[in-house]
Amino acid sequence: MFDSEMIALVAQAFGESIFMTVASSIMAYVIGLPMGFILVASEEGGIAPMPMVNKILGAVVNFFRSIPFLILLVAIMPFTQAIVGTVIGAKAATVVLVVAAAPFVARMVETSLKEVDRGVIEAAESMGATPFEIMRKVLLPEAMPSLLLGSSIVTTTILAYSAMAGFCGGGGLGAIAINYGYYRGDRVIMWVMVVLIVLIVAVLQSAGIYISKKKDKRL
Amino acid sequence: MEQNQTIISLKGITKTFSTRNGTVEALKGIDLDIKRGEIFGIIGLSGAGKSTLVRCINLLERPDGGSVVINDTDLMSLSASGLREKRREIGMIFQQFHLLMQKTALENVCFPMEIAKVPKADAKKRAEELLEMVGLADRMYSYPAQLSGGQKQRVAIARALAMSPQVLLCDEATSALDPNTTKGVLELLKEINRKMGITVIIITHEMKVIREICHRVAIISDGAIAELGKVEEVFRAPKTDAGRALVFHEGDSREGYDGPMERCYRIVFDESNSNEPLLGSMMIECGAPVNILAANTRSIEGKVYGQMLIQLPKDAALREKMIANLRAKDILVEEVDHV
Repeated sequence: MFDSEMIALVAQAFGESIFMTVASSIMAYVIGLPMGFILVASEEGGIAPMPMVNKILGAVVNFFRSIPFLILLVAIMPFTQAIVGTVIGAKAATVVLVVAAAPFVARMVETSLKEVDRGVIEAAESMGATPFEIMRKVLLPEAMPSLLLGSSIVTTTILAYSAMAGFCGGGGLGAIAINYGYYRGDRVIMWVMVVLIVLIVAVLQSAGIYISKKKDKRL
Repeated sequence: MEQNQTIISLKGITKTFSTRNGTVEALKGIDLDIKRGEIFGIIGLSGAGKSTLVRCINLLERPDGGSVVINDTDLMSLSASGLREKRREIGMIFQQFHLLMQKTALENVCFPMEIAKVPKADAKKRAEELLEMVGLADRMYSYPAQLSGGQKQRVAIARALAMSPQVLLCDEATSALDPNTTKGVLELLKEINRKMGITVIIITHEMKVIREICHRVAIISDGAIAELGKVEEVFRAPKTDAGRALVFHEGDSREGYDGPMERCYRIVFDESNSNEPLLGSMMIECGAPVNILAANTRSIEGKVYGQMLIQLPKDAALREKMIANLRAKDILVEEVDHV
């Protein structure tokens, strides 16, 4: 069952899963982090109130957040095709993961930033800081421990999604679990994949908590 | 330093907030002139509008109407960037300190200078000097979480002074501190006012803070200024209900006498006559006793003041005689209909 061929296959899938998770997480933050900042800054009583921007962005985020991942995966196939030239494999899955995770990241970031004491922002305003300076020099550093904790939740969620993408030719550990465990009925391989995924989640989670604690100067 | 030059001039400041339960008129046309170099107190019960008022001075809260003029500049007419520039001339400290929790004391003090694009090395040097001045030379690399409340407020003061402001706004700066720490912080503010000539505006609900360091005081009540004047004058003879509520409701034992009373008088004496048995000799001279309802002494800016609430006899002629007797002894006597 676990011959060298199979082990090579699992190793490759493991790499694919890590690649999908890391690449999608980074891309999701590239898009979602600024979105989270805009959501917080533009809301009523925020540091740069823009009610229209806030409403529209909020609606877009909610729209993409409400679409079940598997449906989104199928629905945006033309978009995926246009971006990476294929709709199967880890690369294609990454595109879908980014589209699914970016709005999620935006909300996570928004929640973290809102934890920053309004008074500290007021103090920065009283010193003559611009809204951008407040975002970069007050909100970002002050919310950092919470943002890091959030990022470990985001990456584990992306990993879970990536396993789902395996159903549709997305590659990675999820694909092996589906192809061998489900279609061929090989429960052992399926459970091995499950354990591997759980291990990755555990590592990501504790790394996030560890770094967040280490960074937090409030304790 | 020209003591009588006006540094801040507020005219007709109004501010209304709309809440779920309708609109609240927080400020109803405040006029206030603050002189360069003074320590000015604004006192009021919570909800009186004093925090809104102090936020109107640097436009953290933009008034609905009126004008805010600081050093001949009308802040309301400034652009966003002009206002940011101007705010650097006004330092501010808060009840909850509002320090950056992820930065050291030194980085916190450097922060306003970082925003003002002061070269890093210069900023660090100045921050070190300021922290030394507030007595935290050995805590420069501590994070706020590692400091006590008083130490945090000292860091906040150093931070507020970083850009060499002309005005320091203190919003309930000592309300979160214990009495001893409060004393230290007030001493520091006094020193800053004296040595640097910085105009200090203090918002508080505690009469003792005003007594301790303010030169002038405004009593704010229900969105308007009820009384304004030198601290000892306002304390000696508060003219309004709001004033009386604040002055008398502190530390004196009059709880049993709340409510309207007849033939009630307040007498105030100062250092020159507080060492003599004035009331006793009056009673002997007039041959009748009086009922003492409450009494206390206070020190305002180093001078001792005492006051008593007394109830005089029913006999009107005797009452007149007693009042004349006391007034002849240089004691302030006024009738109060409400204890």
